[in-house]
Amino acid sequence: MEVAILFLLVVALMLLGVPIAVSLGFSSVLFLLVLSETSLASIAQTLFQAMAGHATLLAIPFFILASSFMSTGGVAQRIIRFSIACVGHFRGGLAIAGVFACMMFAALSGSSPATVVAIGSIVIAAMRQAGYTRDFAAGVIANAGTLGILIPPSIVMVVYAAATDVSVGRMFLAGVIPGLMAGFMLMIAIFVLAKLRNMPKGEFQGWREVYESFSDAIWGLLLIVIIMVGIYGIPPLGIKALFTPTEAAAVAAVYAFIVATFVYRDMGPLAERDGKPKSNLLKKPQALVTAFFHRDTRHTLFEAGKLTITLMFIIANALILKHVLTDEQIPQQIASAMLSAGFGKIVFLIVVNVILLIGGQFMEPSGLIVIVAPLVFPIAIELGVDPIHLGIIMVVNMEIGMITPPVGLNLFVTSGVAGMPMMRVVKAALPFLGVLFVFLILITYVPFLSTWLPTSLMGPEIITK
Amino acid sequence: MSSHHHARSGLAAWVNGFEETAIAVLLGLMTVITFVNVILRYAFNSGLIWGLEAVTFLFAWLVLFGISYAVKVTAHLGVDALTSIMAPGARRLVATVAVAVCIGYAALLLKGAWDYWANFANLPQTTGRWFPTGFEEMRRTSYRGWYEVVDIPFPEWLRWIEPLMNEGEHYEKLPRFIPYAILPFGIALLLFRFLQAGWAIATGQSDSLIVSHEAEEAVEDVRHLNAED
Repeated sequence: MEVAILFLLVVALMLLGVPIAVSLGFSSVLFLLVLSETSLASIAQTLFQAMAGHATLLAIPFFILASSFMSTGGVAQRIIRFSIACVGHFRGGLAIAGVFACMMFAALSGSSPATVVAIGSIVIAAMRQAGYTRDFAAGVIANAGTLGILIPPSIVMVVYAAATDVSVGRMFLAGVIPGLMAGFMLMIAIFVLAKLRNMPKGEFQGWREVYESFSDAIWGLLLIVIIMVGIYGIPPLGIKALFTPTEAAAVAAVYAFIVATFVYRDMGPLAERDGKPKSNLLKKPQALVTAFFHRDTRHTLFEAGKLTITLMFIIANALILKHVLTDEQIPQQIASAMLSAGFGKIVFLIVVNVILLIGGQFMEPSGLIVIVAPLVFPIAIELGVDPIHLGIIMVVNMEIGMITPPVGLNLFVTSGVAGMPMMRVVKAALPFLGVLFVFLILITYVPFLSTWLPTSLMGPEIITK
Repeated sequence: MSSHHHARSGLAAWVNGFEETAIAVLLGLMTVITFVNVILRYAFNSGLIWGLEAVTFLFAWLVLFGISYAVKVTAHLGVDALTSIMAPGARRLVATVAVAVCIGYAALLLKGAWDYWANFANLPQTTGRWFPTGFEEMRRTSYRGWYEVVDIPFPEWLRWIEPLMNEGEHYEKLPRFIPYAILPFGIALLLFRFLQAGWAIATGQSDSLIVSHEAEEAVEDVRHLNAED
């Protein structure tokens, strides 16, 4: 079974510390050279076309850029202030506010580690001050941070859409209800635990604070509105979609730049610097021009570019691997093997769950999607699984993979952010991991949760085999 | 790893500045062109026909140019679950194997990248399946300098290349060898950076090629907030 060798080679190389992208690319190149007629030139072409030939993947750099402009410390702080004003007065309120803040930040950033770092670093410190244990705080944040890839806009969903040719817009819509649901399930679990263990509760600071913190955070939160209204329009008012998802991402990036530079003034020529307070456009109108060349702008562009490069390098190499799989007709073989063995939909979904839970621990989610999606997609269609539903199942699986011991990615990040050894984070995250598992089972076997919103807003999905 | 590579000499500092600026400018251009196209569509009911194609090429340039930089500053993502619990000696041995794989990968791709690009630039492809064994004999079909992209118009100030690349014929659109040139160039740089990384591992200055997640720097920045007391 050549494919087994191929996958073993990929995993072995990764464990040796070869970059994920090179592990995928090198194994695939060896395979293509040995087993097929493919030339190195056409492999290089695949690599080039990964960027030049995919208008869908083009959304990725723009979403990353928007989230980089939004990830300046100030936005996270404003969101946290607003969350605390809303739910801080419940028992366990600060922890619930942490989840709420993670949900909102997830919608701005689309990346789980980034969410843990931005929200976790502040919330964990605040929770410890308020009398929570470090373990509880870390457990909450490790879990809530995984919402980053489920709540739209999500880079992982863009990659799934590109790998399987479903619509990005549908995927984003499909993530809305599961994302909110996962967040609320975590909040309820925290609330129950807090009641049982008599955890601290905050003071309600009044509606005025709710209003003020909201009007401070609104500029950041509007980014979500721009993206969602841009992609879908406002159907009840008869406003049609304004942009493609890629355009929406680019508009969001420009909007985020304007907010960070001219409204929040956390960066750029108007920011507080060297003891001088924040300036404004009246005092410094030249900032309208200089902002574009300011070193903060350049630095943010550079950081976003760097992240785009490393993600796209993985995705491009995963596309070479996909080339191997389709060349060798692997998905069709597996599909017919499973069907002839009499496996049904339920067994198939369990197999997908297990593969992704294991894979999600090791691998960057977007790379994993590119490889696994073409394998399971044809089988899923054959068995009558809705492609959008399959996408959400895959995303939720990887979310949980990120916090499943022994090597979940979010566990590492949380251990760094919370200053705790890995094993303690694992233990701290376990109770909430249980909640997310229940959630996974719900999502997997109740397709309605994922497909209702996209179907009712955009009409039924048409499957082309 | 710090995002700002600490360069030693003046040249290295200049190269580093150039790389970081190029990455920022490419991404900035992609964003601005896409955004302007949206504005043109709504405000003026027009648009840049070549916009989408130009952005996709800039995207390819960004990534293919940037992968070598990411090797230099150790930004590529990997799995360190196993290597991080190894003894230093074993870790170094494993890192040597890993970098050898990377060099092999880049070398194979470089041949592929050259072969793909060469004919578009009226140059000979290499022969051989795995390794270049020589150059092909140029046939009539090997001269493909006339191949153009779909939408991007040919810039006037480049007219002087027509006699060199297209036997004096007029180019309507940008010839393909220009945007595609990033492929052999970027992969050659990648090979160079992997060789450098190999040297750093061989001389004991480094023992890893990867970071385990994209937020590793950011985690370092906030670690002090919750340090174990």
